This record gives sequence, structure tokens and C-alpha cells, in this order.
Amino acid sequence: MKYLTANRYALGLATALGIALAAGSASAQECTTKIGAVLPTSVDWGKPIAETAQYVVDQVNEAGGAAGCKIEMVLRDSQVDPKVGVDAAKALVDIDGVQVLIGAVSSGVTMPILTSVAVPAGVAEFSCCSSSGAFTKLAEEGKLKGLWFRTFATSNVQAAVGAKVAKDQGYKSVAVLYKNDDWGQDIGKLVAGHLEAQGIKVTSLIAINDGQPSYRAEVTEAISGNPEALYMALYPTEGTSIVRDWLSLGGTQNMIGANSLKSDEFRNNVGMQYLGSFRGTDTSSPRVASADAFVAQYKEHFGKEPNGPGLANSYDATMIALLAMEAAGKDAKGADIAAAVARVTDPSGEPVTADKDGFAKAKEILAGGGNVLYQGATGNVRFDANGDVSAPAVVWTFTEEGTKEDSYITLEEVGELTAK
Amino acid sequence: MTGIISYLVFFTTMASILAIATLGLNLQWGNTGLFNGGVAAFFGAGAYGTLLLGGTSQEDHLGGFELPYVVALAGGMAAAGILAWVVGVLTLRMRRDYLAISTFGMAIVFENVMRNAEWLSGGAKGLRGFERPLRDALGDGFAYNAAFLAVVLVLLFATYRFLQVLVRSPFGRLLRAIREDETAARSLGKSPARVRLTAFVTGSVIMGLAGGLYATFYAFVSPQDVLPTLTFQIWAMLIVGGAGNNRGAVFGAFLIWAAWTASGWLLSRFAPVDAQIYTGSIQYVLIGLVIVGMLLWRPQGLLPERLVISQSGQAPS
Repeated sequence: MKYLTANRYALGLATALGIALAAGSASAQECTTKIGAVLPTSVDWGKPIAETAQYVVDQVNEAGGAAGCKIEMVLRDSQVDPKVGVDAAKALVDIDGVQVLIGAVSSGVTMPILTSVAVPAGVAEFSCCSSSGAFTKLAEEGKLKGLWFRTFATSNVQAAVGAKVAKDQGYKSVAVLYKNDDWGQDIGKLVAGHLEAQGIKVTSLIAINDGQPSYRAEVTEAISGNPEALYMALYPTEGTSIVRDWLSLGGTQNMIGANSLKSDEFRNNVGMQYLGSFRGTDTSSPRVASADAFVAQYKEHFGKEPNGPGLANSYDATMIALLAMEAAGKDAKGADIAAAVARVTDPSGEPVTADKDGFAKAKEILAGGGNVLYQGATGNVRFDANGDVSAPAVVWTFTEEGTKEDSYITLEEVGELTAK
Repeated sequence: MTGIISYLVFFTTMASILAIATLGLNLQWGNTGLFNGGVAAFFGAGAYGTLLLGGTSQEDHLGGFELPYVVALAGGMAAAGILAWVVGVLTLRMRRDYLAISTFGMAIVFENVMRNAEWLSGGAKGLRGFERPLRDALGDGFAYNAAFLAVVLVLLFATYRFLQVLVRSPFGRLLRAIREDETAARSLGKSPARVRLTAFVTGSVIMGLAGGLYATFYAFVSPQDVLPTLTFQIWAMLIVGGAGNNRGAVFGAFLIWAAWTASGWLLSRFAPVDAQIYTGSIQYVLIGLVIVGMLLWRPQGLLPERLVISQSGQAPS
């Protein structure tokens, strides 16, 4: 009896599914191309990343869409759970037939999506934020078939610049605290290495687990080495708790932070009075008009500064994906789109800005057979053979309104620093 | 259409793998009354064990034994079993909630060790370098997934049959006797401690099997795969399906995993664009409501345990 009921439900569901699909194909007259996005929208910092991606899609549609069709981004939540993310990606690829995936954020989710969904299906994947070095290795082994791109500069850039800041500020010893995930472990170790290379003593290297009610034990350990400064590769929530504990235990206000702390939440919760000597690092908004344009248009659209991890990266990842779709032409497969990325990030191509007009201009140039150089929100994005990017860097400080740039480190200087 | 079939194969594979883990939990909780709050650890031990034993050599962590797949999978199951034995000896004297807390804590420890012991597990960036068996013959595409599904289904059925036979055997009656009244069982000359340990280890080995298959499917595992969410998901599957009923466990696994994934799919399709950003949160609320609703209105699960009277004697007058 119960099985009968279950069967009937299944039948009902299947019918509903059929109707939904039929309805989908009926309204597809005006030509819509779907792209998929798997992002952690149920997590606070994941929402703005997804909003930014959607914003790019809206802009591209205003410019007439890509490859002759309007673009629809089907957004799925990864819940930061690999099973859920992979299932979502598989549904996007198989049922919605997407040739481009945007995402994911956590490398632990991105990796299985890439290896068990995107690569087997020949779908191009563009990630804003996955930083693990494992992707580079996998690409070097030739297992990604050139389908993988990320606009998140490898952690080494920020690590090298963080160490440079410590040296410039004259700190002799630094305690390093890092988020205990793949990104944090990576950058924590790299920073320690660069600090040592600069002749600065690393008094402690401490992993910070998420969501603890208190970090007093970790902070006490860090402070016991009497460091002259504190380096943090942390997210705002944990960063706030740490800094509160740190200051209340008499720690120094000399702080260096990775771009993950570039958030209003962190600034407001800690308080400006304690952040006077805080220096942050970030891969740069470069010296091109399009980067300022990104900040300006973001402010206009969302009514706030693009402060938060991965926003500019998300913008570029999505925009490059759509530009590549445009370059690859109508009904292109993932591999063609991946191959077309070189045409839109060509250093000798015609420069285009990161906005609606830039996209419209790129369309014309690409239609004429030319190549373009996308000047993105994170710089003149240029992928190496492994889908990785390097980038210029900035050092920034907090202000009453948000953040401001303190100094700019060019791509060449970054190259020198990271080579050490 | 082929896309939908391809997706359904993928979905069924994952649901079947989770169903195997749910069956393992059903032996522990449904039949023996052991509240295992650390499902993720035994699942994870199977996953890590399988990949470490079967994987190719990597410079930055242990591995590279490249054992035949069957041996690697058995090794993963053994790893889960050994972990369960150690944990069981230490904690099984505890009763329900205390056992739950200690096993939950154990799962946190497991996840943290995997996250930090980079020499062993590759740390937070995960464990890779595993080549899926028979990949050269079947490729990466649909054929492989279909073949893998067939293997998983065979193993699911085998696990189900094994447990059906087990719970109907005298040993199964003993498990239920211990679950209902341990003192009474002891008064009949049984040794509850040993039986509980046996059931705990057996259930955990089954979870290890599920973990091994899971890791094989992705050819990758990272600490994010063994977060407490997994334990919660498996428990939800068992509670909704019906604790104490193996069919219920399998049915619950398919149902909950379908609800989990289909809700995301439906929301992505039918929620307005402006609301898309919140669908992740809405989905969490929906899943929570289903589970709370089940607990309120049908706590015995959709397919409740069928109590068997082994020998129908005369009712005492």
C-alpha cells in the first residue's frame, strides 16, 4: 500500500517534471542560452559573489546578450557541501545543458565538480575564488583539458606582498594566523616563508578553525611570542573575534591582513580607532579606467562599496566566460569556449573595459575577427597554461568610509617578490 | 532526454551510496539502539582509506600504494572497522546521549586530523591522485557512470540482503533484546557489551563501504566531505525512512537526497530572479521543516519497524 502511494507520487513528480520541461522548450523561442553557477548562496559571504555574477549577466543582456542569445544564469546553492555542489553542477550540465559553469568557491567543492562533472562533460569552468594549489598540479598533469580557469590570483601574490608590508613597516617579528582551510593553509605557509626570506622572525604560525565562540587560547599562544605585528589570513567573523581578543590581551595594533578582511563588517565590528596601523593586501585594481569603473558601477548598482572577498574576481570570471562564449559563437561547446578565452584576454588585442559598453565593443571587434584584451576588475587578466592568473597588488588601509589604497605594486614588482 | 538519464544515473549512484551508509546506521541505531553521532568519521575513514591505498604516488602526502581496487576498498572498510573498534571499546559503555556526544566529538576529531595532518591526508586541500578503476576501458563519461551505478546497486542490494538475514537471525533478535532491555538480555546469559561492539563495528564497516564508494566516485576526498552535515543527512534519512526497517533506511535515503537536490533544482527554476539569491537559505528552511514535521507527525518514519514475533506461543493467562 505504502509503495503504491510512493509510486503515485513518483508518477506525479515525473508528470510535473515533463510539463515543466515542455513549458521550458516552448518559451525558448526568443533564444536563451543558459549558463550554470554553483555558488554558496546560503553562506553570508557567498551571496554578494552570486549577486555580482548575476549583475554581469544583466549587463551582458543589456548589451544584447552573448553569441546571439540572451543569457540566463541558473544559480544553484552549493551549501559548501561537495555532494550538493556536485549534484547541482551535474543537473546544470545534464538537464539544463549548460556549457559554462561559474564556481564554485571552496576548493573542496570545486575540485569534485571539475573532475567528475565539468571535465568528463567537456564543460568550461570559471571559478572566482578557489585558491588551492592542487588545481595547478592537476592542470600540469594534463587532466583538466584546458577547461579550467580561475580569476583568483594564486595566494603567493598576496603572501609575498604581505611579507613586503611587514618589511616596509620595519616589523622584526610577526605572528601568523590563518584560516584552517585550503586557502588559509596555503597562504599561511607561503607568508611564513616570505617573512623568513625577508629576515623577519615568525613567532608563531597558528591555524584558526571557523565558528569557535572564543579564540583566547590561540591568541594567547600568538601573543606569548611577543611579536611586533600580527598577520591574519582570516575571514571577517573570525578576524573580528581574534582582533578583539588580541587587543584585550594587550596585543599590538600593528596588523596586516589578507583581502578576505577587506569588509565593512570587520571594520565596523573592530572599530576604526584600533585599525589605524592596519595594512591590508589585495591583488590589485590596476591602473586602468575599467577598474575604477567597476567600483563606480558596483556602487551605483548595489549602493555600497565592493568590499568583500571575491567580488571583483567573480565579476571577471563571469565576464570572461561570457566574452569567451561570444568569441566562440553560437552553440559552442565548452571546449570551444575554453579555447576562445585566449582571444578575449589577448595582450596584443584591443582593450575593452569591464562594463556593458566594453562588452558591446568586444562584440564588434570579435565579430570582425579581432582579438580583445579584457581589462577587468582585477586587472588585465591573463591566464597561464594552467588557468591560473597572476596580478598586480595593492596595499590598502581602512578609512571611515571603507578602504583606501596605500600603495600599488606593479605586476613586475610582484613577479620579483614572488620569485624570492 | 539523454541528459536526464545521465543525471538520473548520477543521482541514483549518490543516493545508493548514501543508502548504504544509512543501512549501516540502521543496524546501529534502528536495531541495536546505539546512537552514533559520528557517521561522518566512519564514512570518512572508508573514503580516505580507499584513496590512500588505491591512489598513485603524490609528493605532498602519504599514498601511492596503488593496490588493486578491491583490496583498497576492503582496506577502507577495514580502516572504518578499526576506528569503530577503538571508539567502541572506549565509549560503548555509555548510553544514548552520552554515546552520541562522544561519537560526535570523535567525528570532529577525525575531521580536524584530516584537515591538519597534511603528510597523511593532504590537509584541507584534500586527497587526490586516485585513478578510478577501469577508467581506461570505460572512459570518463556516461558509460563509466552507468557501470559504476551497477556496481553500487549490487553492493547496496548485497548489504541490504546481508542485514535482512542478520536481523532475522538469532543474533538480530539479540540486538533488539539489548535495545529494548539490556538488563533482561544479560539475565538470559548474553553479553551485551560484546554484542553492542559487534553491531557497532559491523555498522561502521558498512559506512566505510559507502565512504569508499563515494571517494571512488569523485576520485577525491577532502575534509569538507566529512563535516557534521553528513552525519545529520544520514540521520535525517534514517528517521524519515523509518528506523529499524532496512527498506525504510533505503527509501529514506533516496527520498531525502531527492528532496535535498530537487528542492534546489525547483527553486533555481521557478523562484524569481530577485529571490534566486535566497534560494539556498529557503532550501535549508524547507529541509528543516520536513524533518521537524516528520518527527511531530510520524516519528516512527514512513516505513516503520515491523515487530516480528519469532515464536508465537500461548499468551500467558
